[in-house]
Amino acid sequence: MTGLLVVVGVLAAGTVIGFVLRGREGAVRSGQQRGELPARVAEALGPGVTLVQISTTFCAPCRHTRARLSALADKRADLSHVDIDVTNQPEIAETLGVLRTPTTIAYTSAGDEILRVSGLPETNRLLTALQPHLSEH
Amino acid sequence: MSTSQQIDPRGPRFAAGITTVVLAVVLITSWWPLLAAQAVVFAAGALFGLRFSPYGTLYRVAVQPRLGPPAEREDEAPPRFAQAVGLVFAVVGVLGYASGSTTLGIVATAAALLAAFLNVAFNFCLGCEAYLLLKRLGPSASSQTT
Repeated sequence: MTGLLVVVGVLAAGTVIGFVLRGREGAVRSGQQRGELPARVAEALGPGVTLVQISTTFCAPCRHTRARLSALADKRADLSHVDIDVTNQPEIAETLGVLRTPTTIAYTSAGDEILRVSGLPETNRLLTALQPHLSEH
Repeated sequence: MSTSQQIDPRGPRFAAGITTVVLAVVLITSWWPLLAAQAVVFAAGALFGLRFSPYGTLYRVAVQPRLGPPAEREDEAPPRFAQAVGLVFAVVGVLGYASGSTTLGIVATAAALLAAFLNVAFNFCLGCEAYLLLKRLGPSASSQTT
């Protein structure tokens, strides 16, 4: 009897968690400053806005995110994209406060965090949120 | 990463469906030998790849021919890592049930059920996306290799 209740409870909780995760997928959160950037990130910053994607080898949506963001960056001179695989350098993720991959963090050329996105970013939502920092319209 | 095998992404999701049913039966019946069998399935998927696990084989033989070729292929590393996470929970669950610590058995099996259910119902690979979280909680496994 206990087992049956546990099954029902897990499936109910799983359904709620699933919808919450789906709702948060691609949501844009405003950035917060976290002290000094890891060297690997600081050296990747370009002249405009840089989208720093944090990935691991064990992450399927990371590949889709990489394809989408690099295509976006290719079309715009004021936006660049870099994908950092932290599978073997988790200290980078820890410094940046990233627990889930993919997480994409947008930085200004000065290294200030503008925003971050968990999961596969939606191009239009991302561009709208970045608008004040972009030179092309 | 690019050297890794590319697989039909519907395969792991199909396997997660069977896993969900198996783990639910384990919880309802407390029949831990079934959980031990599921642990062997997880081990096969983690060690040899999902195509060679029993559920993966069933998918290739019985399901994929009816569905046709996949629209795209995925890297095998993420679901394979998730199988290893499932293996850890299944082994802890078996140890719990078999040693009389039923609560431990139930908790471990319930955690594995949650992950399998999220995979089949929402196509969300908990083990894959939370790799960094798992690594921070248990740094022993991979820090030795680096």
